[in-house]
Amino acid sequence: MLKRTLATVAALALGSSAALAHVSLQLKEAPVGSTYRAIFQVPHGCEGKPTNVVRVQIPEGVIAVKPQPKAGWALEKVKGAYTKSYDYYGTPTSEGVKEIVWSGGNLGDDEYDEFVLRVYLTKDLKAGETLHFPVVQECPDGAAERWIEIPAAGQSEDDLELPAPGVKLLDAVSGH
Amino acid sequence: MRNHHLGRFGLLALIAGLIWSCLTIAALAHASLTSATPSDGAVVATPPAMLSLSFSEPVSPLVLKLVRPDGTTTNLERFALRDKTLEITSPDDLGNGTYVMTWRVVSEDGHPVGGSSIFSIGAPSASQPAAMESADWLVRSALWISRIGLYAGLFLGIGGTFTLRWLISPTGSVRHATFALIAIGIIATLASAGLQGLDALGLPLRELVTRAAWATGFETSFGRTVLLLIGAFFLSVVALWVQGPAMGRTLAAIALIAGAAALALSGHASAAAPQLLMRPAVFLHSLTIAIWAGALLPLIHALRHHVEAGRAALARFARLIPVAVGILVIAGIVLAIVQVERPAALLDTAYGNVLLAKLGLILVLFLVVSFNRWALTKPAQAGDGKARHRLARVVVVETILVLAILAVASTWRFTPPPRALAVIAAQPVSVHIHAEKAMAEVTITPGRAGPVEVSAFVMAPDFSAMVPKEVVFVFSNPQAGVEPMRRKAALRDGAWRSEGVVLPLPGQWQLRVDVLISDFDLVRLQDVVEIQP
Repeated sequence: MLKRTLATVAALALGSSAALAHVSLQLKEAPVGSTYRAIFQVPHGCEGKPTNVVRVQIPEGVIAVKPQPKAGWALEKVKGAYTKSYDYYGTPTSEGVKEIVWSGGNLGDDEYDEFVLRVYLTKDLKAGETLHFPVVQECPDGAAERWIEIPAAGQSEDDLELPAPGVKLLDAVSGH
Repeated sequence: MRNHHLGRFGLLALIAGLIWSCLTIAALAHASLTSATPSDGAVVATPPAMLSLSFSEPVSPLVLKLVRPDGTTTNLERFALRDKTLEITSPDDLGNGTYVMTWRVVSEDGHPVGGSSIFSIGAPSASQPAAMESADWLVRSALWISRIGLYAGLFLGIGGTFTLRWLISPTGSVRHATFALIAIGIIATLASAGLQGLDALGLPLRELVTRAAWATGFETSFGRTVLLLIGAFFLSVVALWVQGPAMGRTLAAIALIAGAAALALSGHASAAAPQLLMRPAVFLHSLTIAIWAGALLPLIHALRHHVEAGRAALARFARLIPVAVGILVIAGIVLAIVQVERPAALLDTAYGNVLLAKLGLILVLFLVVSFNRWALTKPAQAGDGKARHRLARVVVVETILVLAILAVASTWRFTPPPRALAVIAAQPVSVHIHAEKAMAEVTITPGRAGPVEVSAFVMAPDFSAMVPKEVVFVFSNPQAGVEPMRRKAALRDGAWRSEGVVLPLPGQWQLRVDVLISDFDLVRLQDVVEIQP
């Protein structure tokens, strides 16, 4: 009984920060018009299987993407055109990395790891909103965990089964 | 279990708040089901003593229930946690059928997760479809009586006219009796149109005076039968009335054909496939019944009162009837085979029972007929007066048997044949779900509780083709407390299919179709489907 009560308490306590249960970003807030270290925390594999591939989709408005290499993982940068041209410290930028793929690794279901990108959050992004980075974990035998759902208007991340990790955007820091 | 906790909600919320403020590191994992015993979708021969659910993480159950085949729910109270596995002692009273083990657990990350796993004991539950809805017995009785009147009018009235015109000259009382039978037929046929309307609309007998009942009655396929049959009755009256024998014969034959055709225009048998076989079979069956049964009353009369005419009539009757009865039996066998489909249905459906009763009466009738033919007909034809009178009495028995058979056959009006039951049972339920990025046309076959096949055509919103990477069907039934059951679909012949899905209960099921359009693009299409019992 006590255990169950505690479990319920824990459920109530943690229900509000459900994103922690899934692949998430360690740094929860960042100002627009700045460089951001996106640290993806991968807590488990796909229903007991190890993770072999981690793919991160770069949302529109995020440029100058530089992944941090990881030992034991091959790194691939999928490039393409942006829908518009962004200003990167005075340089117009209209194409760049749209997806990052770490592959060939073997992250056990009972192990934890972090995958890091350094990105620039353009001023075209709206402060006050949450920016989502859809992430796919691929495991052997076609198994996959897809953290790719983005809340629609009026929805919260808690309403979603597979929420994409997000970062809350803050106002640009003036004076640089 | 849950309500108990909810009772202390305020206190818990306070404690929760405190714990939350103290938490610096949150556990990073969520639980998912890795296996279940019996495994999801399994069919086991005997009730399992133990049930188990294994998760990817250690869990604590919040809700643990077993939904039984009849839809009732049992809380599973006796369980033990062993590492990541919940071992549950199953209730002792598990009968055959499909069960849903449904759970809601919380893992160390505190995220409650729900799900369902299905297993069947013996075989998956599949309830018999309720084809006969609640009936108004007054209307039904009236319909039944009017149907007997209709048959009497057609087979004895119109059939009798045919005999009187073709076999025996129309004389005296038997002519009046035939007029009376036709009159009964007309009244009963007209009445059955209104009653048919009442039955179709589900109205009580007093509503027979309303226009709606009659309009509806005539709008159904039975309306055509009524109109043609009334026409046949009037033709028959004229055929009896006219003086010229040639005219009388022609009209009597047309009336007979029209009457038999009228029956082929509606009813269970006429509606069955193959139509090219069934409609002619109904027509021939009706036609030959009318020829045979119609001859009985005139024959009794002739045997009793007109020695010479009776003998001549008997000779013609004895030549004609074997042919008619042969056709009657063959057409009847064809109808029975198509309608009943499988021999077991003779016993386990109402339609089959009626057919058995009818066959029993027919057997008795044939015994009487054979006795007639081999023991009495020859002596009667040879001029044996005693034999002739005995023959007349036996023909009275035959007539009563024929009426009894008609009365039994009239109850078929209320018993859909096994073929129709099978059609009702196999009726799928379909739903079209439309969303911004994709839409799906989902069909569940059959649309009733039990094992089903789910298939979906997935299209882009502009109806163009779309081949998603993955499609998953998720069924849940919040009213019955069944948490989501996920079933992966495979692409075959252009449709995403999942076989061996068991929807154990009738009622409203939430259906969600998860369409993975591309690696990063998932669309969830949701709707409610009504599953029949």
